[in-house]
Amino acid sequence: MSSRASILKAVKTNKPALIPLPEINLGFFDEDIDLVETFIKNVQFVGGRAFVLQSVSDIDTQIKSLYPHAKQIISTATASQLGTVSISEATNPHILESIDLAIIHGALAVAENGAVWIAENDIVLRVLPFITNDLVLLVSKETIHLHLHSAYEAIAKRDRTFGVFLSGPSKTADIEQCLVIGAQGAVSLTVLIL
Amino acid sequence: MAHADEAAIFNKDEAKVNWHDKALWFVRNKRDNAAHTVKGWEELRNLASGIKANVMSNLDNYLIQFEENAQKNGVTMHWAANAEEHNQIVHAILLKHKVEKVVKSKSMLTEECHLNPYLEAHGIEVVDTDLGERIVQFAQEPPSHIVLPAIHKTKEEVDTLFQKHLGTKPSNGDPQYLTNEARKHLRDKFLKADAAITGVNFAIAETGGVVVCTNEGNADMGTHLANVHIACMGMEKIIPQEKHLGVFLRLLARSATGQPITTYSSHFNKPAPGTEMHIVIVDNGRTEQLSRDDFRASLHCIRCGACMNTCPIYRRSGGHSYNATIPGPIGSILSPGMDLKKHSSLPFASTLCGSCSDVCPVKINIHEQLYKWRQIITKEVPQPVVKKSVLKMAGSVLSSPKLYGIAGKSARFMLKYAPRFIVYSKLNAWGKARELPEVKNGNFDEWYKKRQKNEQ
Repeated sequence: MSSRASILKAVKTNKPALIPLPEINLGFFDEDIDLVETFIKNVQFVGGRAFVLQSVSDIDTQIKSLYPHAKQIISTATASQLGTVSISEATNPHILESIDLAIIHGALAVAENGAVWIAENDIVLRVLPFITNDLVLLVSKETIHLHLHSAYEAIAKRDRTFGVFLSGPSKTADIEQCLVIGAQGAVSLTVLIL
Repeated sequence: MAHADEAAIFNKDEAKVNWHDKALWFVRNKRDNAAHTVKGWEELRNLASGIKANVMSNLDNYLIQFEENAQKNGVTMHWAANAEEHNQIVHAILLKHKVEKVVKSKSMLTEECHLNPYLEAHGIEVVDTDLGERIVQFAQEPPSHIVLPAIHKTKEEVDTLFQKHLGTKPSNGDPQYLTNEARKHLRDKFLKADAAITGVNFAIAETGGVVVCTNEGNADMGTHLANVHIACMGMEKIIPQEKHLGVFLRLLARSATGQPITTYSSHFNKPAPGTEMHIVIVDNGRTEQLSRDDFRASLHCIRCGACMNTCPIYRRSGGHSYNATIPGPIGSILSPGMDLKKHSSLPFASTLCGSCSDVCPVKINIHEQLYKWRQIITKEVPQPVVKKSVLKMAGSVLSSPKLYGIAGKSARFMLKYAPRFIVYSKLNAWGKARELPEVKNGNFDEWYKKRQKNEQ
């Protein structure tokens, strides 16, 4: 018998009688709070920063003032014209190692934890939001959800390839519990809210 | 060696024990703060517990559904009955691709299977890419905590290790400098790796996808740069539907470190064009644990480590004293199921205070299971003569009010009048490293009777 068959057989024999799957009652988690304010507070709590911009034309000015030294820039967001390096699906992801800054559109955001959902079609290459030195995410106010339950409902109908909830810059506290921002991924995160 | 003996070794360095104790309690406090800000936290725990109970009762069907959907997504599936088969499967995939260098992100399962030494023996370089895991890999030690693998190391020890292995300058253990040096070192490893191995936090039956959570971004740096991704999972990682991630991801990081969510919660469904993705489903004793009514719920664990951070024994004995892949309270109910004799002292490494069960995000009755393992172990594993006879004596004393009174009186008399070298002799474990309480006259029983008399 293959391991697959023997494992499944053992599970069938050893499992208890069927216990029903509980329903998620979202009423328990409902809160009347300012989503933008809560989101910004949580982005800061996880080590990032977030700004509300008045118009799309402010995006590039804001990014230039925050990252004046960035030279190798990839922008996969149509709202920013700062890109200096263009990529396609055929690009070897290893060359992204020298990227200073990536500007990416985030499909939606979550107020309770400061996370932004990044879908594969918004990044072209999966490694981009991780390998870039600094990261800017553009998020629309209307797409900020109260909690993860609501966020998962919103992405339920996507084409599932790869996606990531990203909350703050890369970090570690593995040396004596001292928090250090900038472990293996991006060393800073800025979220611009429109 | 029994847990208590291992703990005695850890306790030789009092300053370090105190630091370890406080550092973990600090994490426990962060967990409390995070939990208290979530509306409906207890409801989330109830849901998580209920979903996991449903998973266990329908696990075979969920596994089949998960496999079907993952295959539709272009993922290659493998099944391993035990650690050895798991290692062989991983090695065969690497051989097929002529892989020489592998980067690995945190996976307690591959620790459990001892994958690293297996691959290294076959000439493959394995680099653990989580900073804490890299530290313990340099030190040739296992992780001492499932979320904070190097919590037992001081920054000075890390400094020395990095000087030796990475050629860093002495920095008195500057965490910023050392982390930055590790970042450069690991970047190079990510760029040169031929394959990436990850664990799995959640596997979704409904979609065939897996979710991997990290704070450092190491799982993603590995998987998106290499051509082959192997995700290794214990079969209990299954959850029925994607919406259930809403429940588990809200609980996981808050319980682990007090963060509202890990920095990266990566959802892998299809391999990137031109790359391969493999999933290895591992049993290794899990189906057996599933058969045990009393201990089945231990499989609900989502590996947050909250029970370790809160445990008064763990905090003062260190993860290595458990001599098991998963230490702490949860490890003490999982490990006896794998090897009762080897791990027979672990269920006794507890005060049964129940704090572990109180903080568990999936509401595992950990302390009750510890008690139940004790009942089995005292029957099936020979106990030390001293322990056996002392407990027998205690049994007869506690069942007779008269004997209990005499015992109490003589203990108080001894504490009051016996010389120090007798009270604090080796025979009295309660006098080890602590001052016993000052004896007042009388006992509760006498005091209560007197009080009643006065009231009449």
